[in-house]
Amino acid sequence: MSGAAATLAPAATRTGVPAIELIGLNKWFGHFHVLKDIDLQVAEGEKVVVCGPSGSGKSTMIRCVNQLEQQQEGRVVIHGRAFGESAQKDEEIRRDIGMVFQQFNLFPHMTVLENCTFALTWVKHLPKAEAEAIAMSLLERVHIPEQAKKYPLQLSGGQQQRVAIARALCMRPRIMLFDEPTSALDPEMINEVLEVMVELAESGMTMMVVTHEMGFARKVADRVIFMDQGEIVEGAPPEVFFANPRYDRTRLFLSQIL
Amino acid sequence: MPDEARLAAADQPLVFRPKPERPPPTSSIGVLGWMRANLFSSVSNALLTLLGAYIAIVFFTAIINWALVDAVWEASNRRECLDRVGRAGACWPGVIAWIPNLLYGLYPKDQVWRINIAFLILVAWALPLWLPRVRSKVGIGLSAVLLYPFLASYFFHGGAKDLLWTALIALGMAAFAWVWLTTLSERTTGLPFGAVVARLTGAPEDDEAATRTRARIAYAVLYLVAVGVTTQWSLSEVSTRYWGGLFLTLVISGFGITFSLPAGVMLALGRRSQMPFISLCSTAFIELFRSVPLITILFMFNTMLPLFLPVGVEVNRLVRAIVAVCLFAAAYMAEIVRGGLQAIPRGQYEAASAVGLGFWQSTALVIMPQALRIMIPTIVGNFIGLFKDTTLVSIIGLFDLLSMARAVGEDTTWLGLFLEPFFFITMIYFVFCFLMSQYSLNLERKLGAGQRR
Ligand SMILES: Nc1ncnc2c1ncn2[C@@H]1O[C@H](COP(=O)(O)OP(=O)(O)O)[C@@H](O)[C@H]1O
Ligand SMILES: [Mg+2]
Repeated sequence: MSGAAATLAPAATRTGVPAIELIGLNKWFGHFHVLKDIDLQVAEGEKVVVCGPSGSGKSTMIRCVNQLEQQQEGRVVIHGRAFGESAQKDEEIRRDIGMVFQQFNLFPHMTVLENCTFALTWVKHLPKAEAEAIAMSLLERVHIPEQAKKYPLQLSGGQQQRVAIARALCMRPRIMLFDEPTSALDPEMINEVLEVMVELAESGMTMMVVTHEMGFARKVADRVIFMDQGEIVEGAPPEVFFANPRYDRTRLFLSQIL
Repeated sequence: MPDEARLAAADQPLVFRPKPERPPPTSSIGVLGWMRANLFSSVSNALLTLLGAYIAIVFFTAIINWALVDAVWEASNRRECLDRVGRAGACWPGVIAWIPNLLYGLYPKDQVWRINIAFLILVAWALPLWLPRVRSKVGIGLSAVLLYPFLASYFFHGGAKDLLWTALIALGMAAFAWVWLTTLSERTTGLPFGAVVARLTGAPEDDEAATRTRARIAYAVLYLVAVGVTTQWSLSEVSTRYWGGLFLTLVISGFGITFSLPAGVMLALGRRSQMPFISLCSTAFIELFRSVPLITILFMFNTMLPLFLPVGVEVNRLVRAIVAVCLFAAAYMAEIVRGGLQAIPRGQYEAASAVGLGFWQSTALVIMPQALRIMIPTIVGNFIGLFKDTTLVSIIGLFDLLSMARAVGEDTTWLGLFLEPFFFITMIYFVFCFLMSQYSLNLERKLGAGQRR
C-alpha cells in the first residue's frame, strides 16, 4: 500500500508508474458506441472524481478498469500490468482493485463478518482467526464493528454501503473504485458513507469515484473529470473545474446539479 | 400549555414527545377476533362458512364410519367381512395380512431385518445434521449422499463382493463410523475427530502440520479396520426381482431425489454456459427429456436400452428404471435451478468477481446458495412429484407400493379387496409427501431467518 499521509502533489512522481492507464478505449453495446477513444491516466495515490449526465458511460468506463466489462478496442493497464494476457494474470491484477457498487451487492446469505472474511478465506486461503481479525479491524475502520453478526438486510443502507467498503478493503487493494456509492441512499445516510471515503482518501489510497456529490469532489479530488456521450470532455483540479469549466456542456451540467 | 407558550415566546424550539404505544383493540385479536374478521365478516361469508363446515362434517363422518366405526378388524377372508357388514365398513384383515408385502414386496421374510437396519443407519447418519455444536455438517451431508448408497446397496442386495465392492462398502462403513466419531468429539471437545486423535497421541496444539498428519493416519487406520470387517462379513444374495412395496418406491425415489439435484445444477449451469457446445448439449438433453412423458422414457429404457448395449452386458431392470427416473428428474430440476439462477441479480456475480473469486467459486459459494434457497418450495414440490411418479415403474414390471396394493385384491383369499389397500397406501403417500412439504417450510423459515427486512 502507498504511504499513509495524504498528499496533493502529483503522485506519479512517487513511483513513476501510473496506477491506472486507459489507452484508446472503445466499447460498443451492440451498435451503440458507449465509450469513445477514452484515454486516462490515474497516478498512484491520486483521487479522481468522474461526473456526467446519466447514460454518458461513467459506469461502463469504471467497470472496464477492473474488467467487469471488456472493451473491444484499447488497453487497460494497472500498475504497469496490462489485462488480457491470461485468465490467471487477470485474476491477480484484479485482486489489487476493490470495487464498491451503487446497489451495495452484499451477499445476503452471509453475515456482515462472513461477507468480509469470505474472499480472505477462499481467495487468499487465510486461516479463519486471521481472516476474522482483518475483517474486524476493517469493520472498525468503517465504524460498524458492532454489526458484525447481523445479516446485510438487517442494516440501513448507509451501514450496508460501509460494509461493502470494508469488504473491498479486506483484500488490501491498492486501488478503490466507487460507482455512485451514495446514489441509492436516503439523504441522512449519505454523509456517514462519504466520511468513510474521505478517511480512506486521507490514507493515500488511489481512488476513482463516480459521484455527483460535488462537496466530496471539492474536498478530496485531485482531479474532476466530466464525461458526456461516451467521451471525456474535460478534466481539471476541482478548484479550476468548478470555477472555470472550459466547455459549455460542462457549464450546463454543473448549473443543473449545483 | 403555559410551558409551550413560554418556550415558543422565548424563541426556543418546541420539544417533540412521541405518544406512548397502545395495545391493539381486542376485537382484532384472539380466536374470536380472527373468526369474526375471517369467517363471519358478512352474511354471505357466514353462509359460506356454515355450508363448508356442513360438507366437511358429512364427508369426514362418512369416512370415519367406514374406516373405523363399521370396519371389520378380524376375519380370515373377504367373504366373512361381506357377510358381517357388507360394503358399509372397511375390511382391514386383508390389508393387515398383506402389510409385510406392501412394505417390502416379496423380499424374503427372514431377511427383512437388513432393510430395517439399513434404514436405521440412514437415520443415524443424518441425525448429526440436526444436532447443535456439530461443525462438520457439510462433510456429514456429503458422505451420506455419496457413500451411504454403497453401504445400503450391499445391505439390500448382498451376495459375493469383488475387490471394488469390498473397497466401496468399507468406505461406507468407515464414513459412517467417522460421522459419529466426529459428532461425538465435536460435541464434547469442539474439535473434529482427527484433531482429537492427534491431541490424544501427543501432537502439540499449535502444530497444524503434525495435527493434519496424525488425523490422516487416524482416518487410514479407520478405513483399514473397515476393510478388515468387510472381508469377514457377508449377506446372502436377494435378487432385485424380489424387491417391492414401499421399500422399492423409496429406493427409486431416493436415487432420483439425490441424483436429480446435483445433475440439475450442472445441467442448468451448462445451459447458461458461454460455450456453445456445452450449452447446446445441455439444452438438447433438457428439452428432450422434458418433452417426453416419464412412462414413455421408462418403457424406452426398458425395451430399447438392451438393444444398444453390447451383447452379454445385461443391465438389471431396476437399474434401468432408476436411470430413467434420474435422467427425467434431472431435466426438470435443471429448469427449476435455472429459474432460481435468473432471479439472482447480476450484481452478485460482479461483487464476487470484484473480490477476486473465479467462476466456480462464485457459483458454488455465492450464487447457488441463494438460487437454491429461493427455489426450495419448487424443488421440494418436484421431489414430491417424483416420489408419486415412481408408481409408473409398475408398467415395466416392478412391484412398487401401488402394484403391491393392487395385488391384494387379486389374492384369492381377498379377491376384490381394492378400496382398503388403496386407502392404506393413500395414507402412506400422504404421510411422506406431507412430511416433505412440512420440512421444506421449516427449512425455508430457518434459512430465511434474519434475511428479510
Ligand atoms: N449491458 C448493457 N447492454 C446494453 N447497453 C448498456 C449496457 N450497460 C449500459 N448500457 C448503455 O450504455 C450507456 C451508458 O451506460 P452507463 O455506463 O451505465 O452510464 P452512466 O453510468 O454514465 O449512467 C447507457 O445508454 C446504457 O443504456
Ligand atoms: Mg452508472
